[in-house]
Amino acid sequence: MGREVAESCIDGVIIEMVSAYGRRFYATKPELAAHRIEAIGYQVGHQLIERYTMERPRFNDHLEVIKFICKDFWQELFKKQIDNLKTNHKGTFVLQDNNFRWLTRISIDPSSDNNDGSQGSSSEATNLLLYFPCGIIRGALSNLGIPCAVSADSSNLPFCSFMVRIKA
Amino acid sequence: MIASVAVVGHQNNPLYLQSFTNANDALKLHHIVHCSLDVIDERVNNPKRSVSTLNESYLGLLYPTESYKVYGYLSNTKAKFLVVTTDLDVKDADIRSFFRRFHAAYVDAVSNPFHVPEKKIVSRTFAQRVSGIVKAFAAGTNG
Repeated sequence: MGREVAESCIDGVIIEMVSAYGRRFYATKPELAAHRIEAIGYQVGHQLIERYTMERPRFNDHLEVIKFICKDFWQELFKKQIDNLKTNHKGTFVLQDNNFRWLTRISIDPSSDNNDGSQGSSSEATNLLLYFPCGIIRGALSNLGIPCAVSADSSNLPFCSFMVRIKA
Repeated sequence: MIASVAVVGHQNNPLYLQSFTNANDALKLHHIVHCSLDVIDERVNNPKRSVSTLNESYLGLLYPTESYKVYGYLSNTKAKFLVVTTDLDVKDADIRSFFRRFHAAYVDAVSNPFHVPEKKIVSRTFAQRVSGIVKAFAAGTNG
């Protein structure tokens, strides 16, 4: 009953979405572009989590929810699980992915043309791209009843870590 | 036979209410569904220690009144599904499979990009699927 789509189509749509919002719609206001991309991710995560938790019994606590995100949810989205999970037991979790699937298609530009203090355009695009999975995680968690803030750090492509701060 | 089905969001806002009897009793159904929400809250917040139903989605019979019974189901995202039935003798397995199919239809309706979360479900496909599931249920219990 379900139809299938080639993964390269998904890659293409995501890359084009980030580029459209970053370069065309909000070219002069990168914060608004980031906000928009994160909001799109929020809606996607919100709807996806409904589908992926359908068969499961209900969760007991926050840690179980985060473990579900790290294992089953990540497996469905990226065909692998999160490689490392750290927590400070006070509502902050760090999810580390050693080989983030969407970043494997980003090229690292060795020659940076603009030396006017701003970063090379490739890392700007990477930062904008990472707002999308942050939004997905935030949407998924908030639909499960956990309001939070998610930020991403990718100093070392394709290694990527997401920090989830649960709002008390 | 099933009198009505309802979907209630996690802030107890009604998302979908459909009645399958011919009478014009939408208000009475709203009232029944609203009262059942209290029972759901009670079941979820005060788990009975004897039965380990703490994590199950299917909540079972919520309360029987003189002419109908109400069954409940709570999803992981705190969406509540309620079924009001006038059948006296309904098998648990039938209701469980009804809720499974209903949940699948709900997930498809919510995945619609034009659906606004926490607003009413206006999809006609969803209404048709729910009618189909209710008809199949009635046929299954009568057969």
